[in-house]
Amino acid sequence: MATSLRLYLTCIRNTLEAAMCLQNFPCQEVERHNKPEVELKTSPELLLNPVVICRNEAEKCLIETSINSLRISLKVKQADELENILTKKFLRFLSMRAEAFQVLRRKPVQGYDISFLITNYHCEDMHKHKLIDFIVQFMEDIDKEISELKMSVNTRGRLVATEFLKQFV
Amino acid sequence: MACFQRESPALKEILLKLYNAEKTMEIDHHLYEFGSVEYHIQSSPSDPQYAYLSISTPLLSQGVMLSHGLSHFTIQMVKEICSDVVEIIEPTKEGYQLTLRLDFAKILNSKDSEKVISEISALQAVILSTQLKEMLLSVNTQDTYQGTYKPIKLVYHPREPFFVIRQPKKIMAVFPMRFKDKSDVIIATAFFQELMDVGNSKEWSKAPPCCWSPIPPPELTGEPFEDLSTNGGFVSFDISSRHVDDKRVDKTVWSLLNFHAYVKFHVKSTRGFIQRRMRKRLEGLVQVLPKSSSEEEEEEEEEEETKKVQANAGRRSRRKLVILPKSKILKRKCGYFSRKIKKIRSRIKIHGFWRFRKRWLKMPKFSSSRGYTKLE
Repeated sequence: MATSLRLYLTCIRNTLEAAMCLQNFPCQEVERHNKPEVELKTSPELLLNPVVICRNEAEKCLIETSINSLRISLKVKQADELENILTKKFLRFLSMRAEAFQVLRRKPVQGYDISFLITNYHCEDMHKHKLIDFIVQFMEDIDKEISELKMSVNTRGRLVATEFLKQFV
Repeated sequence: MACFQRESPALKEILLKLYNAEKTMEIDHHLYEFGSVEYHIQSSPSDPQYAYLSISTPLLSQGVMLSHGLSHFTIQMVKEICSDVVEIIEPTKEGYQLTLRLDFAKILNSKDSEKVISEISALQAVILSTQLKEMLLSVNTQDTYQGTYKPIKLVYHPREPFFVIRQPKKIMAVFPMRFKDKSDVIIATAFFQELMDVGNSKEWSKAPPCCWSPIPPPELTGEPFEDLSTNGGFVSFDISSRHVDDKRVDKTVWSLLNFHAYVKFHVKSTRGFIQRRMRKRLEGLVQVLPKSSSEEEEEEEEEEETKKVQANAGRRSRRKLVILPKSKILKRKCGYFSRKIKKIRSRIKIHGFWRFRKRWLKMPKFSSSRGYTKLE
């Protein structure tokens, strides 16, 4: 793994460890309601300052924390048009199957490619350190998958081009 | 890949059916195929010897259109398909460019029948190929205008025209590429880049040099705007004389005619490949997701249970090593737990206490002499 990527991921991991101290907190506005405060943003005293961790202009991570929930939004690197459509296709594919991931948000936050929403219930149900591991692993896997997909598409294109030109020889 | 086949599968099936029929069948079929092609097949018991096949296909170029629709060269090539079996009828049926009379009785060897019928089914490919072949082979000096050669617009499919430009030592085929979806454009562009790299490499020096450009090449200057407005750019091949010699001309012509279909097929299959790969990857990503703590505990318990069973089986050879399903294990545990609770909540039992109670702790019975009777 590249040093810059390792540092970037370590920074995200440390921030998540610090931010993931969630507790059950009923809504202050509506009785008998219990909603993720990071989404509703009804009471500013329940929100922490959002943190943006940037690897470069194209790759960044936004961590928004509240008393009972945490929202992580990722922007994945897209070096060219092919990477751009592959990333969009893949992340849209995952978002449409968000129920399989439990913590994945169906719609990403504006300006980002994919978002996760972790509530206190998730933290109670799952181990905190494993949730953090999952987020970091997910980031690594997405990068790797997009690079591999791009390479496969180009390799396929090269093979098909060779087959086409064979007909002239 | 149906569009890459020379013969029409539907036409072949009907002709084979006609050929294999013991009695002459009454057939009057109209077939419509990719590339605005129309076939009309007729056969009737009143004329048992012959079947009639008419074809209407869009001409590649309006410039070569003659009074009856097909050039002499094309007619010649059609006659060469199978001169015994096929005969061109004049005048052609109304609305069609060519009408053929087929005499299946002249196919002597039944082994060759399929080959002959395949050749007849590839009639449309022959007509289109000969039109392009004619253009590639003839030096058309009439097209020169002030030292430049005029591009010939060829329409194989109404929405996908391409241009052939004859130059002093080569023929240039230019394909304007159009796609419906933006992602298709990007996949196709990646393919064109690879095509350029491969075509211009030393290994493929014999293949025609290929060039892709987002803007139209200068040779197309003066062509109508709608023909030059594309979203996929322009792909051009430089066909030299070695690509149109007797051996290779058929393959070259067919490859050029099907280039649009070839690219579209590649784009479609690449999209399928991406989708398949994403599906496969999803499974891997979900597995990384942490399981809830209750699920983990259950799994740990199950593992322990299995270990216990295995250990017991090791000690006592009689006991069977059975891994029970999760539901059964849970039921058993519940039963064990409820029995324990019952024991805790039940009265304390002391052995022989009932005898002691009977003797010493017996409550005397009070009987009243003045018993009362219930009043009715």
